[in-house]
Amino acid sequence: MLALRLIRVAHPAVQLRRLLVATAAAGSGFLLLSALGYAMAHPQNSAGALLRLSWCAIPLAATVHLAVAVARTDPGTKPRPGLSALGLGPSRLMAVAALHTALACTLGSVLALLVFLHLRGDLNGMPFDGAAKDFLAADQPLPLPAALTLLGVLPVVASTAVALALRPPDLLHPEGHRRSYGRFGAYGTTARRETFGTYGRFGARLFRQPSEPPTLPTGIRPADTPQPVATADGDSQAPPDQVPAPSSPPAPPEPPASPTGLPWGVAVLAAGLAVESYASVTETTPRTALPGGLAVGAVGVLAGWALTALGLVLAAPGLTHLCGRLLQTARPGALRLLAGRVLMAEATRIGRPLGVVCVVASAAFATTTLSDYDGSAPAFGPLTALGGLVVAGCTVATLLTAAVEARQSRADTTEALLRMGAPAAALRSAAALRTGALLAFFVPFTLLIADLAALPLAR
Amino acid sequence: MEAPPDNDVLWARSLHFCHPDGSPGVAGVSLGVREGEILAVGGPRGSGKTTLLRCLAGLVPAQHGEVWFNSTAVHRMGPVDRERLRRDRFGWIDPAPVLVPELNVWENTALPLMLRGVGRRRAKVAALEWLERLDVGDKARRRPVELRQAERQRVAIARAIAPSPTVLFADEPTAPLHRAERAHVLRTLTTAARSHGITVVLATHDAETAALADRRISLLDGRRVNTVHLPPVSEAEGRAECSLSV
Repeated sequence: MLALRLIRVAHPAVQLRRLLVATAAAGSGFLLLSALGYAMAHPQNSAGALLRLSWCAIPLAATVHLAVAVARTDPGTKPRPGLSALGLGPSRLMAVAALHTALACTLGSVLALLVFLHLRGDLNGMPFDGAAKDFLAADQPLPLPAALTLLGVLPVVASTAVALALRPPDLLHPEGHRRSYGRFGAYGTTARRETFGTYGRFGARLFRQPSEPPTLPTGIRPADTPQPVATADGDSQAPPDQVPAPSSPPAPPEPPASPTGLPWGVAVLAAGLAVESYASVTETTPRTALPGGLAVGAVGVLAGWALTALGLVLAAPGLTHLCGRLLQTARPGALRLLAGRVLMAEATRIGRPLGVVCVVASAAFATTTLSDYDGSAPAFGPLTALGGLVVAGCTVATLLTAAVEARQSRADTTEALLRMGAPAAALRSAAALRTGALLAFFVPFTLLIADLAALPLAR
Repeated sequence: MEAPPDNDVLWARSLHFCHPDGSPGVAGVSLGVREGEILAVGGPRGSGKTTLLRCLAGLVPAQHGEVWFNSTAVHRMGPVDRERLRRDRFGWIDPAPVLVPELNVWENTALPLMLRGVGRRRAKVAALEWLERLDVGDKARRRPVELRQAERQRVAIARAIAPSPTVLFADEPTAPLHRAERAHVLRTLTTAARSHGITVVLATHDAETAALADRRISLLDGRRVNTVHLPPVSEAEGRAECSLSV
């Protein structure tokens, strides 16, 4: 009941994001049902039906991606001290978020089922003069359990993913190796991560306990007044009377460490491109069909594409970080400093969805290039178009939602800057500068990758 | 219309402010702040100190009443003009230091100067000078997250003072600190203000803090009063009525 009440009173922007999830779920559900219809119409061609079903995994994954991003930005599922005192702690809020996602996805699935039934003519007559009669198997009765099973996949997967993504932090580190900040980190007990060399790469010393006693901070002059409280006396454990009161302000959020996936991403990207071109040269590998009547490619090429996509997603946070670093080099003023440093701090959050958008964009570009090389118009069926639309829409919406999340997490800093007298126009132009830098870097990069990926098939 | 007195740098007359949800903020407060003085605005929690400071600094427009800054009518300015006035003339210190977590300490301090168009080198020199004066000079290249709360608050003070504002508004700048650090922070703030002739309006509910100021006014329930001593609450009031054993 509480989850329903929380849904009803949400802000229109939040409702719009949930509606986007429902729309994406409807698109994915309709694709799944269409695969079912194909299987019913062609009972002898089970391999083709399985292939169609497996291609539905891509829109499904994009929808789950969007659902997780939307759940992260949902203000109703943020841990709040007042709600926690009422017993609505982080774990309950995780359950509420999962329920919201399940509801949105179920709404979309029901919508997909209704459209499917309408197109089949099960509801009230055959629409469009029976144009959809063939691939939806309108002349056969619909196996309802199969349809419901297919439609139930998305809500289950999406809400599980949301619950995993939003699980409270003590479930993340159950072995008790959490870094405690004590009195705002005054004791210097926060473990420094080794980022260099083999230790950094394989994480051998990720949770190293500091062996040396923390030194007394040197910036504090002993004040004239008698000190009623003991300062750090070499003991790394805070005495119980120095535990900060619940009303004390939290320490500022630690800027996340710079993303480390860039070397891996570049390596996987290069390996993917190499596999792809090698597979296109050797003609002995088995072939498989692409959806929508595209070119028939070798399995090795598909594996190369998958590796390329993975490498792009892995490398994108590091590249975003690099963009920010380049933006703030060489004696920056306030504008470039704010733009670049924020981009560096938000590299992981923005970079991952940006990498996915790059993958989708380069795939789209490669597809159009291929159809140009063939000299024929691309033979996109309506279902392929729908799938492409769902994937593209989901990835772009995820990127925008991640930007909203980054903005939410920086809201208090922005407010303090405005209180300080920073002009709002300067903050806006810093945001515009960030966007421009990302566009200027990633658009040519995506085009280059797409060109390289389409090269083997175009021969 | 009556012109404001000449020796007052900031001057308010019968300020009324009511929060958007209808709860009363400030009701009819008049005050004048002389140039170069440190004025403490005292009173218990919830007496309208922060609201008064926000009205005076032009962060929120008062519903009735006038605010004058150096013969400029702040209450008649638009949002853009008030933003420019805040940037060029006013400084603001929050109860908890909100620094930009991505910038290091000297960049945080130099940020208001750079936002005013001062060159990077001059801004850095001024920022480092002020950090040195406030005893955080050796932390100038650290990130805010690596500092202690009192050091962060000193950085916030340096950030507010570095552009040498005409009026500095400090809203309970020592509230989250222990007493020793509180005395240190306050002493550095008042010394810096006096040596540079900066007018300070300091909200505090602490009598010790208010003792460092030149002059003190008291607020109670949004009104200016001469004394905030309330009659002591008798120990057993209401206990007999509420006790289950009676």
